[in-house]
Amino acid sequence: MASTTSNGTIQVTKKPLGQRMKKYWGFYLMFIPVLIFVAVFHYAPMFGIRYAFYSWKIIGDPQWVGLANFEKLFSQSQFTVSFWNTIVFSVVKLVLNTGMAVLISLLLNEMISLKFKKLSQTIIYLPHFMSWVVTASVFSLLLSPSENGLVNQLLIKLHIIDKGVYYLADKGHWRTWYYIINLWRETGWQTIIFMATLTGIDPGIYEAASIDGAGRWQKMWYVTFPALGNTIITVLILNLAKIMNLFESVFVLQNDSVRRATNVLQTYVYYQTFNAGASADYGYTTAVGLFRSLVGLALMLICNYASKKVRGRGIV
Amino acid sequence: MAKNENVKFITPAGIEVPPPPHVNKPKSQYTAFNFVNGFIFILVCLIILIPLWKVLIDSLDLTSGYGMKLLPSKFGLDGYLSIFTNKSLLQPLWVSIYTTVAGTFIGLLLSTMGAYVLIQWDMPGRTLFANILLFTMIFSGGMIPSYLVMRAVGLTDNPLGPILLPAINVYNLVLMRNFFEGIPKSLFESADLDGCTPMGMFWRIALPLSKAALASIGLMFAVAYWNDYTNFKLYITNRNLYNFQMKLRDMMQSSDLPEAVGGATENTIRNACIITAILPFMVLYPFLQKYFVKGINIGAVKE
Repeated sequence: MASTTSNGTIQVTKKPLGQRMKKYWGFYLMFIPVLIFVAVFHYAPMFGIRYAFYSWKIIGDPQWVGLANFEKLFSQSQFTVSFWNTIVFSVVKLVLNTGMAVLISLLLNEMISLKFKKLSQTIIYLPHFMSWVVTASVFSLLLSPSENGLVNQLLIKLHIIDKGVYYLADKGHWRTWYYIINLWRETGWQTIIFMATLTGIDPGIYEAASIDGAGRWQKMWYVTFPALGNTIITVLILNLAKIMNLFESVFVLQNDSVRRATNVLQTYVYYQTFNAGASADYGYTTAVGLFRSLVGLALMLICNYASKKVRGRGIV
Repeated sequence: MAKNENVKFITPAGIEVPPPPHVNKPKSQYTAFNFVNGFIFILVCLIILIPLWKVLIDSLDLTSGYGMKLLPSKFGLDGYLSIFTNKSLLQPLWVSIYTTVAGTFIGLLLSTMGAYVLIQWDMPGRTLFANILLFTMIFSGGMIPSYLVMRAVGLTDNPLGPILLPAINVYNLVLMRNFFEGIPKSLFESADLDGCTPMGMFWRIALPLSKAALASIGLMFAVAYWNDYTNFKLYITNRNLYNFQMKLRDMMQSSDLPEAVGGATENTIRNACIITAILPFMVLYPFLQKYFVKGINIGAVKE
């Protein structure tokens, strides 16, 4: 409660806590469902982290093993591969998508015909709304080595290859296509934030640049591009903070022949738990998950700090 | 850009001089750059559309030999007939529909109520509530502990699992809060003086003034529910409870396809299923695009 005294200074006098809480009783009531959901779906699982220190084959009781799960984890080559895949896939994808989105936004911004610009935007946003399952289905048909696979047919017609290649079943090709498919799906959607920044640039700056004799390229390089700088950094920081979450896009594009080479931490946890039959150790996979969460937390805190430095506010 | 013809160049001494040469250069729309730029975008749009076009025509084609072509060589709707007459495909479609409707409703309710509480700046405990929510964005128990909790509370192999779990979305809740913050405080204050209850203000002021935000965030929920695969994969093993994404994935991976009607081949049915999975949003998308775009802008560009 604030009240203004006669000489204009503001005096803040707080009522006792009990009275204030009574005033807001209705709001506390409204928040109960939210708290219940958060408690069950987000906080209850945090108590399950203790299984990281147990060995538990789901039948029978968990056995205390101390840090043995973590020792095992660092000795498994599959774990190391998955960890580095998580980092590499996410970072390469992030750099490619952001770079392409910036390029497309700059070109879109130069478009003269407004109708064509709008149509292009409508089309390039489209793939973002398709689920990863649909995306994977479309591309597995498109890349199939049979006579139905458009990409293979095209390359054969152009005499680049002799017979169909099964792109998604070869680890080298798989990575390339993983990045291409991500570009196809996400580039358009990412341009939205850059386009918002570009429309916010004061047209006066362009006018001033024209009068000073700047041509189109100079205006693009000296006015438009620097204006995007902050947005690019923001996008990179925001996305870097969640790179450990990588799961569905990799999971639906994998198949048995490339699985070991293309696992990321989340898919590794999934297969070790739900596809390992009776040997599945819930304690061990919880430990892998805990490691992932901790790296994610560290990244979040680093990015939050970076964000505060760069743009004056945190990301959460 | 300015209409340069009207600009007069006057020296400080007041003498009018001819403008510098680049100012009056006629600005043609037909420059090489504009042509190349236009061409690039035609190419970009084609790259986006060709994969989808290929799926669409293959879903309407009843021949088994495919390859590169622009239109189906033997047109027929049998692929779609196979889907809409087959119980094993209609059931997942129905699961997708009801989880999307129920989930979007619950998700919107939780987001708006949570957001409304978080804008009560004088409320004791507000900061604590905000921090409880925000902490879940930076740390999680992980996949296996979540699974164990879901199993313990009976939400595995239960359609309520994939409905309730994604309904609490802190990111959407924060977007909603950002929007509510834009509503003038005086509106709430005068309603309070008139004796309106908190719940009354929520229904009569906050919600009616946020229709655009409700549409945006509701659509984000709807897309997430319709496209949900991960939660079904983790928590549902009973095939009768599969949603359409699960069924589609299953069909792409195995040759265990539902019985074909008429001249539909395996490939026709697969392609028809992909189209069915994206159809609702493709039809609505041109009309709803602005709400989708608005949704991302409420959160991201708020500086």
